[in-house]
This record gives sequence, structure tokens and C-alpha cells, in this order.
Amino acid sequence: MKKIKLFSNTPGFAKQTKKDWCKSIKKRDFKIQFKNKIFDPIYFQNEIEKTNTFDKNSNWKITAEIDISSEKKANKEALKLLKMGVNSITFLNFKDHNLEVILKDIQIDIIKLNFKKIKKIDFLINSLLAIAKKRQINSKKLVGSFYQKKISKKDYNQYIKLLPKFHYIQIDIESFNKKKPTNYYNPKHILFTYQPSSFFLSEIGYLRAFRINFEKKFKISPYIECVIKVKNNKYHSLIESCVKSIGSILGGCNSLIMNSKIENKLNIQQQLILKHESFLNKVSDSLNGSFLIEKITQEYTNGYQKKEKLKHRNISWNASEGIKLKSKYSSNDIKNVKHLDFGAGTPPFLRGPYTTMYCNKKWTIRQYAGFSTAEESNKFYKKNLKAGQSGLSVAFDLPTHRGYDSNHPRVSGDVGKAGVAIDSVEDMERLFDGIDLAKTSVSMTMNGAILPIMAFFIVVAKRKKIALSKISGTIQNDILKEFMVRNTYIYPPKPSMRIVSDIFKYTSKNMPKFNSISVSGYHMLEAGASADLEIAYTLSDGLEYVRTGLQAGLKIDDFAPRLSFFWGVGMNFFTEIAKIRAARILWAEIMQNFHPENPKSMMLRSHCQTSGWSLIAQNPQNNITRTTIEAIAATIAGTQSLHTNALDEAMSLPTENSAKIARDTQLFLQEQTDICQTIDPFGGSYYLEILTQEILQKAKKHIKEIEKAGGMSKAIEKGIPKLKIEASAIKRQASIDNAKNLIIGLNCFQDNEYEDIEILDINNKLVQKTQIKKLNKIKKNRNEQLVNKYLNKLSKGCLSDKINLLSLAIEAAENKATLGEISMACEKVFGRYEANTIINSGIYAMEQNKNSQFIIAQKLTEKFKQKYGRRPRILTAKLGQDGHDRGVKIIATSFADIGFDVDIAPLFQTPKEIAKQAIENDVHIIGISSLAGGHKTLIPSLIQQLKVLGNSSIMIIAGGIIPKKDYQYLKNKGVRKIFGPGTIVVEAALDILNELI
Amino acid sequence: MKIAEYIKGVKTNNRAILSKAITLIESSLVKDQELASELIEECLNYKSKSIRIGISGTPGVGKSTFIEALGLHLIKQKHKIAILTIDPSSTISKGSILGDKTRMQKLSNHELAFIRPSPNKGQLGGVHNSTKDIITLCEAAGYEIILIETVGVGQSEISVQLMTDLFLYLTLSENGDDLQFIKKGVLELSDIIVINKMDLNIEKAKQVKFNLENHLQITSNKTQYVFTCSALKKLNIKKIWNQIESIFNAKWNNNKIQINREKQNGIWLEKILKAGWLEKLKQNSRFQKIIAESQKKPPKNPRKKALDILNKLSLK
Repeated sequence: MKKIKLFSNTPGFAKQTKKDWCKSIKKRDFKIQFKNKIFDPIYFQNEIEKTNTFDKNSNWKITAEIDISSEKKANKEALKLLKMGVNSITFLNFKDHNLEVILKDIQIDIIKLNFKKIKKIDFLINSLLAIAKKRQINSKKLVGSFYQKKISKKDYNQYIKLLPKFHYIQIDIESFNKKKPTNYYNPKHILFTYQPSSFFLSEIGYLRAFRINFEKKFKISPYIECVIKVKNNKYHSLIESCVKSIGSILGGCNSLIMNSKIENKLNIQQQLILKHESFLNKVSDSLNGSFLIEKITQEYTNGYQKKEKLKHRNISWNASEGIKLKSKYSSNDIKNVKHLDFGAGTPPFLRGPYTTMYCNKKWTIRQYAGFSTAEESNKFYKKNLKAGQSGLSVAFDLPTHRGYDSNHPRVSGDVGKAGVAIDSVEDMERLFDGIDLAKTSVSMTMNGAILPIMAFFIVVAKRKKIALSKISGTIQNDILKEFMVRNTYIYPPKPSMRIVSDIFKYTSKNMPKFNSISVSGYHMLEAGASADLEIAYTLSDGLEYVRTGLQAGLKIDDFAPRLSFFWGVGMNFFTEIAKIRAARILWAEIMQNFHPENPKSMMLRSHCQTSGWSLIAQNPQNNITRTTIEAIAATIAGTQSLHTNALDEAMSLPTENSAKIARDTQLFLQEQTDICQTIDPFGGSYYLEILTQEILQKAKKHIKEIEKAGGMSKAIEKGIPKLKIEASAIKRQASIDNAKNLIIGLNCFQDNEYEDIEILDINNKLVQKTQIKKLNKIKKNRNEQLVNKYLNKLSKGCLSDKINLLSLAIEAAENKATLGEISMACEKVFGRYEANTIINSGIYAMEQNKNSQFIIAQKLTEKFKQKYGRRPRILTAKLGQDGHDRGVKIIATSFADIGFDVDIAPLFQTPKEIAKQAIENDVHIIGISSLAGGHKTLIPSLIQQLKVLGNSSIMIIAGGIIPKKDYQYLKNKGVRKIFGPGTIVVEAALDILNELI
Repeated sequence: MKIAEYIKGVKTNNRAILSKAITLIESSLVKDQELASELIEECLNYKSKSIRIGISGTPGVGKSTFIEALGLHLIKQKHKIAILTIDPSSTISKGSILGDKTRMQKLSNHELAFIRPSPNKGQLGGVHNSTKDIITLCEAAGYEIILIETVGVGQSEISVQLMTDLFLYLTLSENGDDLQFIKKGVLELSDIIVINKMDLNIEKAKQVKFNLENHLQITSNKTQYVFTCSALKKLNIKKIWNQIESIFNAKWNNNKIQINREKQNGIWLEKILKAGWLEKLKQNSRFQKIIAESQKKPPKNPRKKALDILNKLSLK
């Protein structure tokens, strides 16, 4: 290993100014147009002398409207809305109604109370005063708005004495801007309304400007209510309203009201998600300092500069990364931030890998998909390409990942389930039938069985007579993270790394436009890593691959420009943006140590996927909101391609309809918003830059620790990254379970009345039958001697590092060797890797020690012991080739902390094997975690095996990604309890214990 | 289940019933314990000849991996083997994580192997009194080789040694560098010492073996054997097994094993009696009263107080 001293003595990177930037672009007509003004796509620090801010905390009121048809109905509706999380209610059409009935049981001194389309305001006000008097509430403390166009001076003067905290006049911001009223109203009694467009970045600047102008003129803060009007229908409207809401919130609105065509509940929950899951209510004027936003604000404030006041109390809060954050940031906070002058398109690429970013080329809409057979997936791909998707991303099924043909005895439950089954060159050919590989870039998520898959892909390209040099795309080829989190490896680490370097060698020589690796943090995020851990370990992986390439004799500039990265994007909006920006700087810093001549060797290009862990099964429509927020974060951070999750991905593979909504999310962002006219639009924001810096420094520490351990391969052997990621995951689960972290519909604002959605089901037995038929046919029509000859050659090649295994695999594939055979030829020499499971314990208990539910559960395990002579004993297991083990590990460690004896089964077991282990250990419960769709085959088979072995009294529970509609089927087969995604662990434990005792 | 069912199941090596029988023996309920002793009484009649081997070593030394390698070697020769592993329970939550099978994947799934992990329920010795009885069950079920794995903490090695014919201690070359790293007393207990993970640094492993052998020659009065080994790469496993077999056969043939086992029974009686008395004492109302009083009003001189009480005590 070449030892380098990371992050020390690295010469600084060059600053970038507007002049430099202009010089480096060819065309100059990149502009944002907004309300007759024109802005540049990017601004720099020296273009913004002073910045503006305003005095308002970061929270906003969630407002909903109720049309009064009958008093009782209105009251019922209002109470329902309040329970949902609304804290401001607007009643429409108040005439001579009985206000007391309408406001029954409503705490009028806690919420904001509004009236629109009022017939008799004096009657209304008198009724309200009477109610306040009756309830012994000081009317002067009541808060609310009367949406009036005008009001007589006499009335006004009379009312404000009684209800001084109400707004009496409603004025649209636009008309106020045009013609300021010279009137008798005190500006604090005006309610300003505004309908933002989906050019949300520009709207942020515009709204800020209004607030700042107003504060300057009237010395008070205006009350702004943003009205979200949407054009789209049904679920698509959630995408649009989400974008507009983010614009309004970051622009500093006081209240948000939705005017869309779907049920109120989803709109309200969207707001709650923005508050509690994305933390948009934490930092006031979050974009203060952002060069672009400040420029737009300045444009509408006519250059007015307001001195920053620091009136805000610095209440700190902790993000999951352990970063202490304040409720307001100013230029004072970023004095020690050194990266502010870095630009886009030049190292360290803080503001984007390319100079013009989306202005010139939008990000690639690349939806990860694949299921069933090659034929079925091919149809789906073609449809998507036709509907505007710009690249393909192939998901393979688990047997393919793990190097098994579909007829292997260990894979029966997994064929065609979580991806497409590929056994042969013929399958690969069908997969890309009618798709022009010279024009469509193809990304393939493959790590374990990379040799046969790359070989098949290359042979197909050759058959289609496409020059390899023309093929663009990506192969994941990131084996290190498989050993850390994802578990779809085949061989032990050392030979696996050798294969990685063989792929590098082959592609750098023959496929110059092909990304030979996609170093992936996504799976770490999904496994529970915090943002700093995700980028640190991913970059450490990257560093290890660079060393591998160099050791294989490649020059740094031969392959480093073809490395790409893959991030997961979670719900913590600003943290996620900061994370990706920080990663770009770090990578450039790391790569500088290898003295590349080509600056592209230092350039970090990203693919992003919205987080699957953030999706929940309850109210799945809310997942549209979550995915939209995450997609916005990814694109503001400047990703090169993006996968947006479908709303049902927490439960199954996407259906045609849910896949469409997911894709349309990206199309909406590209076509309807101003994201693509900007470059790093939040760059310069004090808050964001502090976050970027904090994450950068935390990540550096982790990277140094890995280096100290001898690089990532060694660190993995020692188990360092795995343990740290798992500890982070358990903490996160614990904070969800004790509601420190809120997830709407899961641990707060639950409701059981949600619509079930239609779900895609794959008949794996049928897929397997088809695949086996095809395999048999291939085997009949090939020259067996030739196949054996090339497979033997491949096996022999494994013994010597000097031979390129991909070249040999291609030869074997050309002669119709199957995926399983090619993989086995290597396995014969390399062996199959078996993971050693280490489990953290005690962490969950530490986070839960004050949770009363947790304590009750602990007592119950004790009671169980008194009654049955031993502790409740559970075997936690995964069946088949599904290696996603975050969930099962969290269950194991938290159940042990609750007081269970927990047996851990090895990964990748057959039902028969699990049955034997459960019976030998004489457990009370088997907990099966299923995330890859094999549950309907594998779990009933387990129950059958238990019967055969003579113990059918063991209680079977299941968890993970199991669609609701399969619950009954599984229960009929003997499954006692099923826990969906996002189950609170303690609640599940209590549920089980109560059943057992 | 009735005794007869248990016995029939154990005798026919019914995995499910053998496993239930172990649970019965481990149970803390009084009624289960009575049934358990009856069961053991019966099983003693069906005992087969077996080799009982204790295996210990500090965490991370590769005990499970070693057992996987050794076990697979034995299974190839068609031996039926039982593996009893003892894992620590958390002293706080009282729960435990039993992950042994993840490190013995091939063995776990083999028909000829029976693996039963047990939580130690916080007992300091790390090994239950019940483990000895479980050995009896396994022997009645026809297992020829019984391996007992324990994590090397507290007094666990001594307890394991007291129920096995041979004691094997695993260490690493990094640890063996300085002999003080090996826990005091453990060396004397061991019949075989294995330096694992030799593949990481063969020279060093050989060096440590040499040093250890020298040390043992001077300090020990019984014959002890030192091996280097790589459980992961399956190096020297066969050699180690051959040694175990030859020691066992020699001792069996001159009746030493049998005599030792009888002696062990005597010691176990004492141990079980002590534990039982302690349990009775804990439940004794006078004792509880004294403890409760002393917690309310702690004595100034606990030594004197205790002596006073003990002097008044008589065992009748």
C-alpha cells in the first residue's frame, strides 16, 4: 500500500471568480428569468458585498380551510384537522352561524383562528368575544385573521382594541408592491397573501425581499401567508405543492395554506414532514448568505442593506450526525470556513463537477428497475425510455448477484423477485432487445457476479456490432461496501479486489466512456450510517480502489476519471446537500496526493438515490412528499443522475403507476422549476456552509481512522466500519422508537384510515420455471467440450494475477457458459466468503433507558422467566439470498437489550437449515426478516420444515418489506405476527411477549 | 412431555426432543429440575463412549472458527459430534446474543452435528452446572465427540476442565509473545495449546510455539502439547486431532479417563451442594431479615457482625 499523508500539506486549490467562470464557458446565455428580471445561474462571494436578513423565527403555521355548511359539521371537521396537526384554521362563509357550536372543544387561545368570506363581521366579533368571556380567556391574547378587502376606520379602531392580535385586512403582496396603501391601518393588522410559482428558488429571494423591505419601512415583521395553488391532479399535485411549500418556507412565510385537489390530510402531512422530518423549521432564514438567493433578494430590495441583528436566541439542536446547530447563522459564523471561494468545474469542485452544470446538461433521470424475466424487464425499460427517462439502471435478482443460476437449489424463493433473473448471454440479449446501447447509457448494479455480467454485456454489445469504445454507462463494481453493509459478495475480499482491478484494466483499455466503478455510500445510508460516516467510508473505499488500480499498473489518469460515486439522499434536507458538497472537496483533496495531470481525476461525479429507509408503509402517499424533498436536495447538491423511489418501494417493486409518479417527480423538477437554470443555488448560505464544513471535518476524522487501520480492506477485516454503521443505525432506530425523531404517520400523527395501494407481485415459481427451461435449451445447444475448456481456463486464470479474468469470462460467455458456471469456475479456486456476524449490544438500551414501554418490556421478559424457567428465546434469521441485514440486526440487539436470549442465524440460509437451528436451540420464536420478496415461498417452506423435524410449536413472526395483501396468506400458513416497515421495536417486543405469556 | 417420551426421543437421537430435554435441564423451575434429575438418572444407563473436550480462549482468538474446522474434519470421518457453547448474558439486561452458528455455518447445517448455544445467565463460572448433565444427554443420544466451548472469562476454564477429559486452550501469536498474556493457571489446566491464525505471521507463530514449549518444559509436570494452526485456512487441524485421539486412547486404555471422570463426579457433588445451599440460604427468612436490616442500618464493623452471626449458626 502506498502510504500517503492525507489532508496535510495539500496545496490549496485555486479560487474561482465570476470572471474565471465566464471564461470557462462557451455559451453565455445561461440566465434565470423571473418576474421581468434576469439573473445569472451562479454568483460568487465577491459579488455579494453585504447580505440581508430578517427577524423571524423559522416556524410556520399549518393552515387549513373549512367551509361552514352546518355548525356541527364544521366543528367536527375542525377538531379532526387539529388532531392531524393543523395549528391554524380558516372558516369560510360565516354568516349568522352559532359560533359557539363551531368552536366547541377547540382551544381558541392556542390555535390561530381565521375567517374568510365573512357576511357580518360585527356579529362574528361579538360572538367571539362572548365565547372568550365565557371561557375566561383574555380576548387580547387571541390570534387570528379576518380576510377583509376593506374596513371602515371607525370599525377598525373599535375592533383592534378588543382583538389587537388579529389581522383585519388581507392584501396580496404583488398589489402591495405595486401600490403601497396610504391608509389608516397599522401594518401589523395586515395579512399578506402570496401565491408562489414553482420557480421556488427565485421565489425564496422574492419573499425575503418583501419581508426585508417591509421590516425596513415599518420596523415590524409582516405576516405572510403563502397560498399553494396547484395545477396537477391527484398525487402529482403533491410534487408541485412540495416544491412551492419549500420555496415559501425558505422565503420565510408565516403560514401555509394548500389549495389543491387532493384530500386535506396529505397536504397537512406534507407540511408536518417538512417540519419534523426535514427540519425546515429549525434554522431561521436558512439561506441567508447564499450568493444566488441574496442576489435575487437584493434585486427586489433595490440594493437596500440591512445590518444583521442577532436577536435570535441561539437554541441549539442536535442533528443525527452529532452536530450542534444554532437557530440562526450569520457571517460571523463562517469566518473560519475556508472553502467559500471554490467554484464549479475546477478542483475541488465544491459547487459542481461541471462548469455549467444543469444549464447545459440536465441530470440523467435514471430509474433503477428490473424484475421477473429479461423479456418482462425489457418491455418495462422501453416504456420508460419512451416516457422521458434518460438512462437505464438494471436491478438484478439475488441469485444473479450471488452467482447462482436460477436452477440452483439454494435460490428457489428469490428468482426474479428483487430484480431481473439473468442466467446467460441470451438473457442479457433479451434484456436490451431493441435498445440502442450506443445511445442509452446503462448502469448495472452488480458487484458479486461482476465477471459473468460484464462478460454477458460485452458479448451482447459485440453481437449488436457496437464498438465498445462507444458504450457509456456504469458498473457498480464496489465490492468493499458489500462486506460492510449489503452482503451480496461471493468470494473473499482479496480475490474480490483482484477482480475489481481486472475490470479497471479491461475497461480503461477498451471502454473509455464506461464508468468502471460506482463507489457507493447509498447502501451505508440505508444501513443506518450518518452523513459523515457515509461519505467518509465511501471515499475511503474509493481511495482503496485507486490504490488497487495503481498496484495493477495503471496510471492515475487512466482510470481515476472513470470512477463515479453513488449517494443515498435522506430526509435531513440541508445535511444531505452539505454532505454531497463536502464529499466533492474531500475527494479532490484525497486525489491530489496522487498528482494527477488530468483535473478530472479529482472530480467526484455523483449518482443519487432517494432513501428507501425514509419510506414507510403507513399512508404510502406521503412517500411522494418524502421522495420529492430528497430529490430536491440531491439536485440542489448537483447530482449527475438520480433515481427517485416510488411511493410503494417500502412494500414491493413499483407498479407502472407508482413508477410514473416517481419519474414525473424528476421531470417536474427539470421542467417546471428553476433548479436547472442555477448552479449550486444555496452556495454561500451561512447555515449550509457551516454544515458542509462540519461534515467535512467529521468525515476527515473517520477517513484518518481507516487509514490508520491500514486502509479500508484492513479496516473491514477488523470490523471497524461495520460496527460504527450499525451503532449509528441502532441509535437512529432508538430515536425513532422513543419519538426523539418524528416520522409522520409512524410515531406521531398516526391514523389507520389510509388507502391501500395496488402492488406488483411477481410469481417467482413461474419465473423460475421459464428460466430453467431456457437454461436447459442453452445447455442442449452448445458444445460442452468447448464450454469446459474455457471454464477450466478461467479457473486456472484465478491462480495468477497476471491474467485478466474478464477476458477469460468473455471467452466462456461467448461459448455459452452460464452465469452460475462462470462464477463457479472462480469459486472453485477462490472459495465462497462467509461473513462473521458481530453484534453491538447495549446501545439500544442506552438510548431507551427512560422509555416506559421499554421498561415494561424488560419487566415482562423477567416475568416470563419466572413462569417458564428461562428467558424468552428468539432466533432471528434471513432466508434465501436476501442479504439486507440492518433490520434483523437491530431486532437482535434491541431484543437482547430488552432481555431476550437472541440466537443469530448466519446469512443466506435455506428454510431447512433455519428449521434445524431453531429446533436445536429450542427457541420460542423465529423472527424472519424479508426484504427481497421471497416471503411467500420461503416462510411457508420453513413452517413445513419445522413440522418435518418435529417441532411445530415455535411461534413464527415476520418483518420487513411484506405487502399488506400478503398478510392473510402468511397468517393462513401459520405466521403469527407480521411487522411492517417502520415498526417500533419495543411495541413489537411487547406484542410478542403478551402473546407468549 | 413425560420422562418416557424424553428418554425415547433422546435414545433415538430425535433432534427436537434432545433439544427440549436440554431446555428442561437448564430450566430454573423447581418442578423442571426434579424431572431433569430423573431424566439424567435414566440417561446414565444409555451412555456411550465419548471424548469430552473443553475449548477455551480469549474473545477474538477464533474458537468458533477452530471448532468449525475441527468439526468438519471429524464429520468427514463420519463421527457424530455435539457442540455446547456458552455465551455471556448481559449483566444489565440479562438477555444475551448467541451468534455462534454464524461462525460455524457448515457445521450448523450438517446432519451429523448438534450445536446448542446456551446463555450463561450471568454465572461467574461461565459454565452451568447443567452443562455436565447436557453432556450425559448427548452421550445417551449417541454423540461420540463432545466439544464444550466457553469464553475465557472468570473461572470458566476450571469449570470446563472439571467436566471434560481434555482441555484445549487457544491463543494467538500476538498474545503468546509475552507469556504473561496467557491467564494465570490456564496453562496448567491445558493439555493442548493451539496458537491460532498462524497464516498471518508464520515465523512469529513458530517462535511463540518454541518459547511456550520451553516454558512448559521447565514449569509443568504433565505432558502438554503446543501446536500452531490456522482454523480459517484449515492448517494443522488434522495433526491436532490425531494428537487428541492418541492422548485419549492412551488414557482410556490405562483407565485414567474413567478414574478422572469419577473424581470429577465427586467434585461436582460438592459444587452442586454448595450452590444448592446458597440458594436455600438466600430463601431463608432469617437470612433475608439480617440482610434487610443491614441494608437499612449498615454495620460499622461488618467483619465482626458476620462472625457473630456465623458463630451462632449450626447446620442441623
